[in-house]
Amino acid sequence: MKSLIACMKKEIMEQFRSGKLMILGILFVLFGIMNPAVAKMTPWLLETLSDSLSQSGMNVTSVTVTAMHSWVQFFKNIPMALIAFVLLESNLFTKEYQIGTLVLSLTKGLERYKVVVSKTVVLTLLWTLGYWICFAITYGYNAYFWDNAAAQNLICSVICWWLFGLWVIALTVLFSTIAKSNTGVLIGTGGSVLAIYCIGLFPKVKSYVPTLLMDGNSLIYGIRDVQTYSSVIIITVVCSVVCFATSIPIFNKKTI
Amino acid sequence: MDMLQITGLHKRFGDKEVLKGLDLVVPEHSIFGFIGKNGSGKTTTMKTVLGLLAADAGVMMVNGEKVVYGQTATNRFIGYLPDVPEFYPFMTAQEYLRFCGEITGLKKSENEQRCKELLTLVGLGDETHRIKGFSRGMKQRLGIAQALLNRPKLLICDEPTSALDPVGRKEILDILIAVREHTTVVFSTHILSDVERICTDVAFLDHGVIGMQGTLSDIKTKYRSEEYLLETEHDTDLLMLQQAFPNLRQTGKHQMIFCERDYTMFEVLRFVADQKILLVKMERTEPTLESLFMEVTRN
Repeated sequence: MKSLIACMKKEIMEQFRSGKLMILGILFVLFGIMNPAVAKMTPWLLETLSDSLSQSGMNVTSVTVTAMHSWVQFFKNIPMALIAFVLLESNLFTKEYQIGTLVLSLTKGLERYKVVVSKTVVLTLLWTLGYWICFAITYGYNAYFWDNAAAQNLICSVICWWLFGLWVIALTVLFSTIAKSNTGVLIGTGGSVLAIYCIGLFPKVKSYVPTLLMDGNSLIYGIRDVQTYSSVIIITVVCSVVCFATSIPIFNKKTI
Repeated sequence: MDMLQITGLHKRFGDKEVLKGLDLVVPEHSIFGFIGKNGSGKTTTMKTVLGLLAADAGVMMVNGEKVVYGQTATNRFIGYLPDVPEFYPFMTAQEYLRFCGEITGLKKSENEQRCKELLTLVGLGDETHRIKGFSRGMKQRLGIAQALLNRPKLLICDEPTSALDPVGRKEILDILIAVREHTTVVFSTHILSDVERICTDVAFLDHGVIGMQGTLSDIKTKYRSEEYLLETEHDTDLLMLQQAFPNLRQTGKHQMIFCERDYTMFEVLRFVADQKILLVKMERTEPTLESLFMEVTRN
């Protein structure tokens, strides 16, 4: 346990000193502010553009902005935050393979699974912190300007998206133990998400693939109810655990 | 007791068979010189002992325990210094050593004390900068400190002096001599003067097998064969001698060496007299590690 804590402390120190923590912090805070800001600016933007829109035959009437506009922005922006997160962290393992920093730790008797566990815990922690900070900022502004009660199943929809992020992290960890470079990690993770997304286009399986969790708008607008997400939540949790559990024996046999 | 025992080690990378049944025994408390040309398989052997590479065949025992690839429990007995040690550049030397102590399970107070002792031993006691600004020599010294942190029974150093200047080399060799009391040291090298200076035992690796092994003095006695140095006046004489005696080894512009085992002294002298070759010097020399190395790697 002591060595696991030491590894986690080292990971956090690296995030802090390499500047990644600051970049992620700025990113999530910025997205958190942007959601209500874009919603708040929508009437003004439309008013500014009304002349050019009317010339092309579109009549702009007065727009009433609610918290819903801000939450729709939230679900539009958070995929970008997740992509930036994965891009930034995709070299967490591969950098160590390429430089050779793991050699000394492993030859000191550090069990290999602790490397995987510590990095996964830190990634999960960073995603969780960043995501919920982003949510809290949007929630706070929305409560100040409008009323969050307008959005139905709000907590459930944001938990679903957070869970989707965790699944992507589990894929990132799995491909980090397989690939040698971060390009491989990005191709593996991105390819898997894309493949699952394509499978989800078939109506019969749509309700069972993890990419459904990205559809937060259906929940806040009340198009779908919470119960329809129960099976996909279970499937996503199981998939994430399987990805994580598979990455350990793969890493155990990896030539460092 | 033997600290390291390797029996029948085979390792292949694609078509290339690097190790072809290597047998090696390292006695406790020795400073063991593992000698071989570049690419002869020294690093492969060491990485296999450390469980970083899977062996194709063979058994390795460290302190009486079998080495297993992947989850290598025998690494708790070992301190390892790679040829180019890589550390986390964002840490200071002290932070890195503390981290190493924590992952090996040292108690906090013992860890602090060991870090201080070792940093002083390797001359980095006052260093507060991050590792990213360290020179090669400083990294090598930190490498030794981390390798000795958990008081290993076996210290494996992969060419620790190869890339260092003479001052850096001397510092590293002095540290290796200083730790011998508590630790068995295996170090690979192709710098023979380093071996002659500090090693008690040696093994020559050539073409994937051990060509010669034993204590340095035993090997020198066992393989002692009279060697003679010849110095001629003219280049042409040298050529003439080389044509007549192909096993002559040229060591300088007008100098060459031959072994009594290859040609007797009288045989060579008769040829010199017959051909009226002018000799500047003829001298009987002590066999050096270099001549033994050349002999092992000649075939």
